[in-house]
Order: sequence, then C-alpha cells, then structure tokens
Amino acid sequence: MSGAYSHRPRRYLRNPSFLLGAILTAIFVGLALVSLFWTPADIARLNVSARLLPPSPQNWLGTDHYGRDLLSMIMVGARTSIAVALIAVGVGMVIGVPLGLWAAARRGGWIDELIMRFNDLVFAFPALLLAIMITAVFGPGAVNAIVAIGIFNIPVFARLSRAGALSLWTRDFIMAARVAGKGAVRISYEHILPNIANLLIVQATIQFSLGILAEAGLSYVGLGAQPPLASWGRMLADSQTMIALAPQLALIPGLAIVLTVLGLNLLGDGLRDLTDPRMEAVRR
Amino acid sequence: MLRYLARRLLVLALTMVAASIVIFLLMSVVPGDPAQFMMGMNADPAALAALRAELGLDRPLLVRYLEWVGGLVIGDFGQSYTYRVSVSQLILDRIGLSLPLAFLALLLSVVIAIPAALFAAQRHNKAGDISVMGLSQIGIAVPNFWFAMLLVLLFSVTLRWFSAGGFPGWDAGFVPAMKALTLPAIALALPQASILARVLRSALLDTLGEDYIRTARAKGLSRGQALRRHAFRNALIPVLTIIGLQFSFLLAGAIIIENVFFLPGLGRLVFQGITQRDLIVVQSVVILLVFAVTLVTFLVDIAYAFIDPRLRRGTV
Amino acid sequence: MSGSAPILAVHDLSLSIGGTPILEEVGFDIPHGSIFGLVGESGSGKSLTAMSAMRLLPAGARLTGSIKLAGRELIGLPEDTMCHLRGNEIGMIFQEPMTALNPLHTIGQQVAETIRIHTDRSRKDALDTARETLARVGLPGDRFPLDRYPHELSGGQRQRVGIAIAVALKPKLLIADEPTTALDVTTQAQILQLLKTLVVEDGIGLMLITHDLAVVADMADRIGVMEAGRIVECAETTDLFQHTQHPYTQRLFAASRHVPKRRAYVPQQGDIPLLKVDNLVRDYRPNSLFSGKARTVRAVDDVSFAMFPGENVGLVGESGCGKSTLARALLGLEVVQGGQITLRGKPFAQPGKPPAADQRRLIQVVFQDPYGSFNPRHRVDRLVAEPLHLLNERPSDLERRRKVGAVLEAVGLAADVGKRFIHEFSGGQRQRIAIARALIVEPKLVILDEAVSALDVSIRAQILDLLADLSSRLSVSYLFISHDLSVVRAITDRLMVMRDGRIVEEGPTSDVFASPKHPYTAELLAAAPDLGSALLARGVDLDQISQLSLV
Repeated sequence: MSGAYSHRPRRYLRNPSFLLGAILTAIFVGLALVSLFWTPADIARLNVSARLLPPSPQNWLGTDHYGRDLLSMIMVGARTSIAVALIAVGVGMVIGVPLGLWAAARRGGWIDELIMRFNDLVFAFPALLLAIMITAVFGPGAVNAIVAIGIFNIPVFARLSRAGALSLWTRDFIMAARVAGKGAVRISYEHILPNIANLLIVQATIQFSLGILAEAGLSYVGLGAQPPLASWGRMLADSQTMIALAPQLALIPGLAIVLTVLGLNLLGDGLRDLTDPRMEAVRR
Repeated sequence: MLRYLARRLLVLALTMVAASIVIFLLMSVVPGDPAQFMMGMNADPAALAALRAELGLDRPLLVRYLEWVGGLVIGDFGQSYTYRVSVSQLILDRIGLSLPLAFLALLLSVVIAIPAALFAAQRHNKAGDISVMGLSQIGIAVPNFWFAMLLVLLFSVTLRWFSAGGFPGWDAGFVPAMKALTLPAIALALPQASILARVLRSALLDTLGEDYIRTARAKGLSRGQALRRHAFRNALIPVLTIIGLQFSFLLAGAIIIENVFFLPGLGRLVFQGITQRDLIVVQSVVILLVFAVTLVTFLVDIAYAFIDPRLRRGTV
Repeated sequence: MSGSAPILAVHDLSLSIGGTPILEEVGFDIPHGSIFGLVGESGSGKSLTAMSAMRLLPAGARLTGSIKLAGRELIGLPEDTMCHLRGNEIGMIFQEPMTALNPLHTIGQQVAETIRIHTDRSRKDALDTARETLARVGLPGDRFPLDRYPHELSGGQRQRVGIAIAVALKPKLLIADEPTTALDVTTQAQILQLLKTLVVEDGIGLMLITHDLAVVADMADRIGVMEAGRIVECAETTDLFQHTQHPYTQRLFAASRHVPKRRAYVPQQGDIPLLKVDNLVRDYRPNSLFSGKARTVRAVDDVSFAMFPGENVGLVGESGCGKSTLARALLGLEVVQGGQITLRGKPFAQPGKPPAADQRRLIQVVFQDPYGSFNPRHRVDRLVAEPLHLLNERPSDLERRRKVGAVLEAVGLAADVGKRFIHEFSGGQRQRIAIARALIVEPKLVILDEAVSALDVSIRAQILDLLADLSSRLSVSYLFISHDLSVVRAITDRLMVMRDGRIVEEGPTSDVFASPKHPYTAELLAAAPDLGSALLARGVDLDQISQLSLV
C-alpha cells in the first residue's frame, strides 16, 4: 500500500463499497477483540432455567437452549471465525506468494512447471474434502480446520502472484533492474511484490471471507472448532432441531456470518476499485 | 489440437496419481496402525489381528498402494469395515443422489446467472446493474447450509410445500424424487449463481472494452448486438473456468447440504465413515470426488479448445 | 471543388467530455475521391474528431456544430439510424490490427457480418461478397480461405481484413485512424498504396489520421493540422508546405526534419574497438515438459561487428528481425549459444557465462516506452540511482545524492525532481530520466532501443539534441536501434541493417542511404515515408522552402 495514493484517505471514504465494508468488518473484528477480555455473560456457564429467553435488557439477543447469552456466544463466535480464517489466509499467503514469485522468476523452467502441477493437485481437493480427510485421521478441531483452509489457500495465492509477476517480468522497468545487475530474488521483493501488493490484498479479503464461510460450514458439520469454543456454524447446527420453536437461534448466527462475509467482500471490491491502475490512469 | 489434448490428459493422469499417493499416505500411513485406529484402543487382540490380515497390513507399503490403485482401476474400492459390504456397492447406492443433485444445482446456477449477467452488463452502472450486483453480493455472503435452513423454515415448516428432508428414492417415481431434491438444489445453487453472475458480468464488461468491439460497432452493430455476437462468446472463456470450479464446490458442498436435508448421498456416507472410523469408506469417497473434480477440470480444458480457435490449431 | 456536396463537411464542431472541452470549432470538407490528412501530436484530438463523425463517443460526451455526410446532418440522428450508417456509408479502420479483430470469429464471418447486418442478403451471398472484398484488398481466396482465424495472419494481413470489413459495402467515406502506425515500413507502404487505390477506384473520400507528416505529404490532397483540439491550419498539401502560415505548423515541420548538431566520428589508426561482437548466436527453444518436437528459433544468427569509442552506430530492421534480442545479449540479459562479445579488449559474455558487474556498468540502456520503464512505486531519485548497484563500492548516501543530482541536471532536469514519483512527469521528461538512469554509472556505450519512437516529433527533436550533446560531452557511444530510418540517419555515423537474425548490410550511414548494396536495404529505404521525397514528387523542393520560412 505504499506509493502515490496512500496519502489520500478521503477518496477511500467516498467509495460506498469500501466504507460500508470497512464499517461491517470493523464491527465484527471489534466484537471479536472485545470478547478476548469481556463478554456480557460467561458462555461456559449453563443455566437451563433461563433457556430460550427472548431479547431483554439482561440478554440483548436472548438466550439459547442451554440458557447461554446469545450476544456473548456471537462475540466469541466472531473471534473463532476471524482467527481461523485470518490464520488460514496467512498460511496461504506466506507459502503461496513466495511459490508464485519463484515460479514466475523461473518462468518456463521445471521449477515453474512443478509449482504449477502442485497447484493443480491441491486444487483437486476442495477445502471441505481436505478437512474431511484431516479430521478422519486427526479428529475434529479448530487447528485442523485452519490447516485444511490454509492448504487450500496456497495455490490461490501462488497462482495469483505468479500471474501478476509474469506480466511484470516483461515490463521494461524490470529489464532496467536486470541491467542494473539485480538478481531474481532482489527484483522479486523490490519491484514485483510492491506492484502486486494491491492484487494480493484484494484477494486476501476475498479468501478471508471464503475462510469464514468454510469455517462455518466445517463447524456446522462438526469438523471445526469444538466446545467449549463457540462458533457460528456450531450454533446453527444446534439451532436446527429447534428451528420451528426458536427461529431466532438460527437467524442471528446466520446473519452474523452474512454480514461479516458481506463486509469483507465489499471491502475487497472497494479496494479493487480504488487501487485499479486503470482507474488511477483516468484520475490523473 | 491433439497435442493440446495429450498434454491435458497427461496432466490429468499425473494429478490423479499424485492425489492417490497423498490420500493413501494420509489414510493408511499417518494413523500408524489403521486397524488399531479403526477398532479403537480397547480392541480385542484377536479381532485386531484378523482385521490386520484382512486389510493386508503385514505387507510392504508399496504393495498395498499398488493393490489399492489396481482395485480402483477396476472399480473395486475394498470392503467397508462397518457395513461389511463392498464399498463400491455403497457408493453406487449413494451416487444416484449426489450426482443428480450437483448437476441440478449447476444447471440452476447457470440458468440464473447468464440472464442476470447479460441484464447487468447491458445496464452498466445504471440502477438495474447496481441492484443485480447488490443482490449477488448478498448471495455470495449467504452460507448455503444456512440458506437451506431458511428454505426449510419457510417452505417446509411454515408453508408445508416440501418435506423438510429425506429422499424417497428414484423408485418412488421421478416427481417425488425431484421434489425432494428441489430445496437442496436451490440452496446449493444460489451462492454459486451469484458468483457466476458477477464473473460473467465483469468478463462481459472487459470484452466490451476490447478493440474488436469497437470494430464491430464501426461496422454498424448496435451496443446490444455487439454484446451478444462478439462479447458473449469471448467472455465465456473465463466463465468456463468458474463453472468447472463450481462443479467441484457443488460436489463437496453437497456433503454439507445432504446433512441439512438428511439425504442419503455420498456426504452422509462420508460422515458416517468418519464417526465410525471407517477409513476405507472415507478414503474411497475422497478419491472418487477428487477424480470427479480432476475430470471436470479436464473437460473444461477441452471445452476451451472448442471455443478458442487459437488452442484448436495448436498455437498455444 | 464546387457542385455536389462534399462527402464529409464538418463545421464548428465542438466536443466536451464530462465538461472538459476536447474539440473546439473544428471544420473541414472532404470532397469525393479525395484524401484528407489530419495530422497532429498525441492528445491533439485527431482520433476524437474521427469518433465524432462515427458518433461513437464515450459516455458524457457533448457534441455541437455540424457534421454532414453527403449533405445529411449526422448530429442529432437517433442511434439506430447511426447504426445503419456505420459500416454502410462510413467505414472505419483502426490502429491496432492485432486486437481489432475478434479472435474467435473467422475472417470470412467478420467481413460478411458487415454485409449481413445492413442487407438482407443470404449467408452464402454475403460470404461470396466477403471473398471478393478480401481478394480486392490483397487476400485472395486460394491463399487466404474465409475460414482463417485472425491469429493465423500477420499484422499487415490483419489490417487488410480490417480494411475489407470497412469497405465491403463500398461506403462513401472511409476513416483510417493511424492505420499503419503499428506496422513495419514495407507493410505500411503496401497498406497505404491499397488505400490510395480504393479511393481512386471507388471514388470515396478518405480521412487519414496520422502523426507522420511524411505519410500525409505523400497521400493527402488536403491537410489539416491539429493542435489542442483545434485545426490551426488547413490547406492543399503543396500550399501547406510552401506557404506555412501558423507557427505551430512551422514548428511541427521543423521538428520532423530536425538534425541534431553533433561531431561526426573520425576513425583513428590503432583505435581499440569499444565493443567487438564475433559470430554471436542466440537460439530459442520452447522449453516445456510437454511440448513435443522442440523447434529451435535462431533469433541472432552469426552476427559480428565492432564499434569504436565515440562512434554512433544505428541498427535498423523490421519487427522480429532479432535486433532487440541482440540488444539484450549485449546487456548480458540473454544466454548466448555461440560467439563472443569483447568489451574494451576484455571478454564480456561468452556462451553460458554472465558478464561481471564492473563490465556491465559500461553498457547501459534506454527503452522505448517512457511509461513502462519505471517502477511506479519508487521516487525518481531511487529510480535513477538503481544502476549504482553495479558499482563494487557502494557510494555513501551523500555521494549518491550528489550523483543523482548531477545526472538529472545533465539531462536538463532540476536536481530536486528526485523526490517526485514518475507519474508526475510527461513522456519526454520520463525519457530524460531514463537517460539519466543510464548515465549515472558513467557507461561507455548506451543502447537506445527505439528510445525516441514513442515520442511526438517536437519532443523527439529535443531528446535527439540532448543525446547528441551528451555524446560529445561525456564521450559516450550509442547503439541506436530503430525501425525509423530518418531518426537513425540524423544521429549515427554508421548503419547496420538486420534481417532474419543476420546483419545484411553495414557501412557509413550516408553511403548506405545514398547507395544501398543489399536489395532488402533498398526495399526498406524505398518503403520508408520521407517528407523530402514525397514533396519532391509533387514538385516542391523542400530545401528551398526551409531556407525561406525557417530562418
């Protein structure tokens, strides 16, 4: 995010996608952060006598079938979702981006071919399938969910950074750097990485939102975070048997997922519009 | 064309071999002793020994791998440890539900997405475009299993148009079977249709900026004619990739949706396999799905060649 | 020019896009069977004048004034009527033949579409006409069947398809927007000849838009000169050159014939060559695990030459002849398969061995594209300082700043521009910065790879002056790579002509121009548009005019 346009914050605030996305994301990240040291109630304490309460001043969103405070559950669930998805994106970027840059630097060579075939291989395993395999052997849990989603993110970032880097390697300014005697590694981090950073950040927000959906799906089928950790997917699974009785238990966690994912996608869209070099050229 | 085909076929074969090795290592080597894993810590030593012999665990890894792969090629996945029947029989029973479900969802997704994208692209940055894109933005954010629950709440619990789950089987007739698949297919299709519509719209807008669209306009085509005659087919190229990827998402996504609707498909089978620690069932379903995904990727590559003459004549 | 109404009559045409004025009071006539040349530098509004006549303008465009096609007013016509006119009565061809055709449709389909869209003729009938039209523009059906796809044709052949699309229905007016700018000179000559023939045979009016004065001097009956959205001067071709009125036209005219003042190189006995290339070979093999038979392409084929200190050498050739590959090999960026390069008597690069940094320092480069040669995220001082990486002893920060300031001043920029980003500079300024970057390590040889090709003529003249000045002051030699013969003529001592990877002719520049020995060189020279000879053919002697009007 260095460069010519980082010091023009107003432009960002005038983009409705970016603004709405940033607000939604900030709310849920804020909830997750606050939950680290404070929640309205202790979600570990069950209180069957207070089960399925409607919203009230004590329980803003009501309580679930064990009498736990729903708002507290949503806050802790936000923490779980965001942590799993964020770490998974991190894993994908830390491994995928260098692989993609490496492949592009050796374009046409056997390293490139090998990395691309590895990508094909990972793409043959949808994240859910990967998670199923890992869970079948190691048992369910948040860490395994992170591993499964993270592995799936690797080829996404590898392909993206390879494609971005390939188009840059043909540019004259890279040629100029080579004439200046700089090697592939140095060119990759000095010239290529900063110029594909926008691309990567936009993709990261998209993968982040996909990660939240995937984590919800995995914990919904019982392969994700395990109790006592609250997670949105598990809350939905628990609510299913009581859907006719207490539909709000199904609606609230679902809305939390939708709003978080929507926020991240809007943020990504806004960032893409704001950092698109074509749009930049028009503005000049 | 032939060289292109041969190249894609080779990639397909290599991917399958690599995938089978990964699956084999993960399911048969990582657990240490699969027999112990499947029967649990307190298993009777005699039964354990019998299972080991049945699984052929006393033989070298390479032999076991080759035997497994050899079996796969002729459609023999081995014996299920819990069901005590051949896994191929189990899969055959279940695939009759999962495959039609995925196809139905894919069809729905394409049928919704294409008109939506054309509609939006023709009204670029106008109200119609903005509302279609807004809806699709929400469609992407909705988890399909939650959407499924809402559909059940509305159509089964409240309106009572559809049953909340279960599958009568194809023997019960086409209409009841399709009725049971309708809500699951809609739940699966909606998010995918949203993604597809967005991709197709932006591909259309990209191609509308190409020089050859200007040429088409200069020869007297209206904006709409240029869009339909010149932009659409060219925009299909990136869209095909997405459709291919979606099929694999749908197959895998069906695993979750089947659980929402209690449908006896591959997804249920694999979960039963996990809870019963039936590694053979799990590994069989996984390799089957991986094969399906790889095959679809291959088919998409072939479809490219039909759309794009540059590939057909072997210049790329 | 009286009697029937002109094919195109433009009066008081003004255009604004999103409130920004683009064209102001543009006016000109194009009579039947005549060629109107519209010249001007980039951004002067030539293309938008053409697009206004087509009424294919971006959203937010506001058009006022009058455009009459054979007496019929176009401004205010509804869109579906315009659709009926485009392709039917006005045809248009574009600059970029590589992207102007739909890659997924056959050439037959694309030409027949013009016919099908405007008439109710059958598919077969339309294809028959398409075949005739393609044959007419030089793509006969036996060698270029209708089911060919664009990617199977060369740039010049694709441009012929573009022309066929435009003239299939014999329109009254043909608009050609820089139709040959992307083509090689020999192809350019053929396409221009084709356009001339069409004008004569069909009696159509041609509006030819170009930045190249030599092209219009050769082609046009009347010329309009555009500057900043206005036509500043408009006259019959010979009149325009003989009695140039407007100062802008005079400047444009002077710039396009500009010859920088420079000291010619005088060979001296016993000079050690600065650069010596012996039997250099560069092969390309498409290397991939899966590609079947590997066919080697020999991009540089047994090339030998030498350059002496202070000597400027030109390397000309058409696209794909291997001149850029040769340049990259000289920069140590290509792995060569055979031969050797010697720099000041020491081996520079040999097969399989990259050159050492202190050797590389001596050869630097300036690229063609002033926009793509800089990392947009770095500031100018960092961009200019990049080659300092080649020095064995890295200069201190202070020394570095001093060097950057010094080279920026040497190329005519203020030393304090270093803190700015590259997008704040114009094309000409960027090319100055590129030269500064090349000079910061005090090279002995600078390769100028089409370094002035992307610049407008007035800027080009300034950059050529700068280069000539720097060459004498800093005793740098240039290897001047270009497809533009007139530029090479102005600034080099010796000339090499390259074709299919080989150097087919080499000699003192003036000798090669005066009496080319190789037939290919002769062909190139004949095809290259030249203002002097174009006007001479019209009975105008340029040398006399320049004495009169430019003093």
